[in-house]
Amino acid sequence: MRPDLALTESGRQAHAPLAPFALLAAALCAAPALAVVLFSLGQSEEAFAAGALLRDGALGTLALVVVGGGGALLLGAIAAWLVSFCSFPGRAAFEWLLVLPLAAPSYVLAYSYASLTWAGGPLPVPIEGFWGAAFVYAIGLYPYVFLAMRAGFAARHTSAFEAARSLGVSTSQLFWRVGLPLARPALVAGGALAAMEIAADYGAAHHFGLTTLSTAIFRAWYSHGAPVSALRIAAVLLLLALAFLLAERRARGRARFDAARWRTLSLLELSPSARAAAFGFCALLLLLGAVLPLAWLARLALLHTNVENLAAPLLNTILLAGVGALATLSISLLIAAAARRDNRARFALFVAGVGYAAPGAVIAFGALMVFGAARNAGLVGGLGAGLALMALLWTYVARFTAAGVQPIEAGLAQAPANLDAAAATLGANPWRRLAEIDLPIATPSLAAAALILFVEIVKELPATLILRPLNFDTLAVKAHAYASDERLLEAAAPALLIFAAGLAPLLILSRGISRAVR
Amino acid sequence: MSPRSKAAQGGALLSRRNFALGATAATLAACAREPEGAYVNVYSARHYDSDKRLYEAFEQSTGIAVRVLPANAEQILERLRAEGDATEADLIVAADAGNLWRLQDAGLLQPAMSASLEAAVPARLREPQGHWWGFSKRARVIAYNKGAVHEQEVASMDDLTRPRFRGKLAVRSSSNTYNLSLLASRIERLGAENARRWAAGVRANFARDPQGADTDQIKAVAAGEAHAAIVNHYYLLRMAQSEDPAERAAAEKVALKFPDQAGAGTHINISGAGIATHARRREAALQLLEYLVSDEAQTLLAPLNSEFPIRTSIQPAPALAALGLFKEEEISLDALGRRQAEAAAIFERVGWR
Repeated sequence: MRPDLALTESGRQAHAPLAPFALLAAALCAAPALAVVLFSLGQSEEAFAAGALLRDGALGTLALVVVGGGGALLLGAIAAWLVSFCSFPGRAAFEWLLVLPLAAPSYVLAYSYASLTWAGGPLPVPIEGFWGAAFVYAIGLYPYVFLAMRAGFAARHTSAFEAARSLGVSTSQLFWRVGLPLARPALVAGGALAAMEIAADYGAAHHFGLTTLSTAIFRAWYSHGAPVSALRIAAVLLLLALAFLLAERRARGRARFDAARWRTLSLLELSPSARAAAFGFCALLLLLGAVLPLAWLARLALLHTNVENLAAPLLNTILLAGVGALATLSISLLIAAAARRDNRARFALFVAGVGYAAPGAVIAFGALMVFGAARNAGLVGGLGAGLALMALLWTYVARFTAAGVQPIEAGLAQAPANLDAAAATLGANPWRRLAEIDLPIATPSLAAAALILFVEIVKELPATLILRPLNFDTLAVKAHAYASDERLLEAAAPALLIFAAGLAPLLILSRGISRAVR
Repeated sequence: MSPRSKAAQGGALLSRRNFALGATAATLAACAREPEGAYVNVYSARHYDSDKRLYEAFEQSTGIAVRVLPANAEQILERLRAEGDATEADLIVAADAGNLWRLQDAGLLQPAMSASLEAAVPARLREPQGHWWGFSKRARVIAYNKGAVHEQEVASMDDLTRPRFRGKLAVRSSSNTYNLSLLASRIERLGAENARRWAAGVRANFARDPQGADTDQIKAVAAGEAHAAIVNHYYLLRMAQSEDPAERAAAEKVALKFPDQAGAGTHINISGAGIATHARRREAALQLLEYLVSDEAQTLLAPLNSEFPIRTSIQPAPALAALGLFKEEEISLDALGRRQAEAAAIFERVGWR
């Protein structure tokens, strides 16, 4: 055998084994969503015609995505621009504080604002109906855009800004004509994430009494007793989610990272009034997105004197989120590593993303259906406690792998490709390269991914509610039980703990990014 | 290294990962520990602390431990369906006859009969074959602003369709089971056309699009945003006893009217329980069910609960007793379930979201 032939041969072979596993893992992630689509194609003998509900739901979701998502886009972009390029008091603190709203799930924000702003309440401004929901989404989800844009700004040629500045371009023009076009892929990526969150949200939309695809699913299922119609609406929601996913992936495909040209850009000096405005803007975001709703919850929690012991739910939450994050993380790493080496495996990235944009309850139902079908086929027994727990972990993996893959992908992208090729030439198999090259290089981004996943699972409600074991409550389950029983005082303490459990990881994460960007 | 041994190494790594996953899952499963003695498993859609007290009392008198999985009625249904005959559930507890009927309709409840059950629960507050039994009673009533509305103006649910309440009604979403059951009872008594006209009339009087739950409607009434609202009776009692002074102040401004006393009576509903089709501890489940409707449990529950005892012979909590006796709508509650989908279709048609 000629040596060069042997080299290419072993090189190609060495690439192959990861891809099938990655595709398998991605299929695992997409299976619950696919089950929903498959079952929705089944024969329907339902008297209920879902047409009008489907139309209203689709219009409702689209309107919320445009207004709520647009709001998040605008707020997040302006905030990212300010802290990345302008000098104003508190800038360094805002840089990492502005992600805080991510720790509070939309339904917690909605409940808190409802009890704060009712007509006889302490702050009687009408945060209700469509505009109320749009407000809660914009103020709660802008950090997705903020985070993506900051990374986007940091990765740009600083020389473009300096050139523009030396040509006498004004500060506002710098934003519109240089910053925005350069960061557009990040803007689209962050916006798509926010859009997916809005489409998948049930709790806040239900509270505000809106007809969205999410709420329409449950209305068809439970009010009309028409599960097949419900699944059809769910299938449409999944299609919509797929479109957002496509937009996000395309946007990130266009974003080229050019690490060699990084230089810290000197910050723009602002006029005193502009400095005050910049400070005021960031402070207001933080106030509305985190401080005000949480301070109000804290007050409610303090009013409630007969506090029950939340140690067990807290422990359960941390345990479940820890195990769920680890399971999801390993699948994410496998897929991200495979996709880096093998274009065929890039498809896995896309497939794995399907679950992220679907409501947790839909994915959980999908997982239940797969188990049901397996039982009918005699493959497994009924869903006992052990299987239910496996189904719950599976749902977490299906739902959040996309969120884990993203930072890992970015981390791996920093590794020079020839390192991997060199290792392959020396005969290291893909698993060994995964362990000895990818893992060390991606460790910081793995940590970031683990933190994100942990926070997501702490906040997750519907799947946990359906699939958890007996006598096993988490904080989200507790908060929901009280809130759905209209006892907000009792719900306040567990809701605050959800926020606290997500807070530490987020702060660590956010400070890490700040340091990397500087 | 040969491709085969590479693959073997890869496989080993993969299975190690799987092993780690399996081990953590096993750890988690172990956390939901098995009790040592006799026990019974309850899937419950009622998350009240009063129920916990009942279970504790049951455990003390029988030695049978009660393990609970609280979740929404809808989610309990999906989980039971998926679990099939492998379910751990023995007794299912849910609020609203509509929810209980849905469980029954999906084949997830089995009939249970006994002399003590039949003696304790009035016939129309249970399913005729014993698929579910009511153990606590609630009324759907009119909450009105004392400063803006005379009691006589809300004597009947029909009054809410009058022009007097144009732009002055607050009601929660029609996807809520309480509203579905309310309309279902009307369909059962007066027919679909009457129900449609009533729902359209109420819809025409909305002060705002439905949002929030019953407590939010009472707050809207207290604030004067609306003059009247349709709510379950216990929400106002709860607000009046709230630890939040703002809620107590709001409750002061609102009164309850049990409507239709001169007519068919006030719409009532139940919290109830039934034995799971695949219950493995049927005896213990039946024992718990019988306990829930017994004099002992009903007397224990009454002061803790803002709902009415299942029998009028048991004295309700003082705040409830103060509301006085009232005439109840006389229909068999299993009709509420049968008419749910029809009610949903009517709500959809008149635009009551």
